[in-house]
Amino acid sequence: MEDVIVEAIEREVTVPAPPDEVWPVVTDSRQVSAWFGADVQLDPRPGGRAVFRWPDGAERHAVVETVEPARRLAFRWLPFQRTAEGHTVTTPSTRVEIMLDAVPAGTRVRVVERRAFSLQARGRRRSGNELLAAARA
Amino acid sequence: MRDRTDAVFSALADATRREVIRTLSQQGPSTATGLAANLPVTRQAVSKHLNALADAGLVTATRRGREKLYQLSPRPLTDAVSWMADLGARWDDRLAALRDHVTALARRRH
Repeated sequence: MEDVIVEAIEREVTVPAPPDEVWPVVTDSRQVSAWFGADVQLDPRPGGRAVFRWPDGAERHAVVETVEPARRLAFRWLPFQRTAEGHTVTTPSTRVEIMLDAVPAGTRVRVVERRAFSLQARGRRRSGNELLAAARA
Repeated sequence: MRDRTDAVFSALADATRREVIRTLSQQGPSTATGLAANLPVTRQAVSKHLNALADAGLVTATRRGREKLYQLSPRPLTDAVSWMADLGARWDDRLAALRDHVTALARRRH
């Protein structure tokens, strides 16, 4: 068996604008909604909440963790999601980091999504609905 | 299944457990004693790791005399890998759309 242990995915793209012009594209709710594939409400402050609603009815929540204007935005997906069918299910908690670097052609946008926890909680596990209620509180 | 994916990644976070999986895939169904013979850890340590792997659904155990025979159960691993592949494909789509969005903005500005 080949070694298939991958705990993070990394993708990048170069876009034709400087980082200070790309920053609102990744932090302004209206602009993020234009490319993310979901309707996004994002509060780009550490601890800020983000809600993502997909056209099929799926919904996920995230918490903003790092905000370095024109450089870095990080958020953590909360470990549950509402499916298109309206069920709330748990999902691996991952952290998304979006990094902007100035390059001659504009900005290199690098995304790393990695698992946020290496150990599964062994104690009392909260149901998806409890988690959703807590997230909305 | 998503819960299971989380458990799979937790189980695979440990280098010895990955080694146990590799050994099981090479030598086929084995007992803890048989695995320990090929790994630089004690039989007790192998047993502990096998339990963790069984919890994650990565191995199944059947009783053979006084010992248990462990074998790989590859489905959860496949699920975990396809979950990662889906994640990557979603970002490919998003970043392509982001590039189109920024390109359109840049054209409007100039």
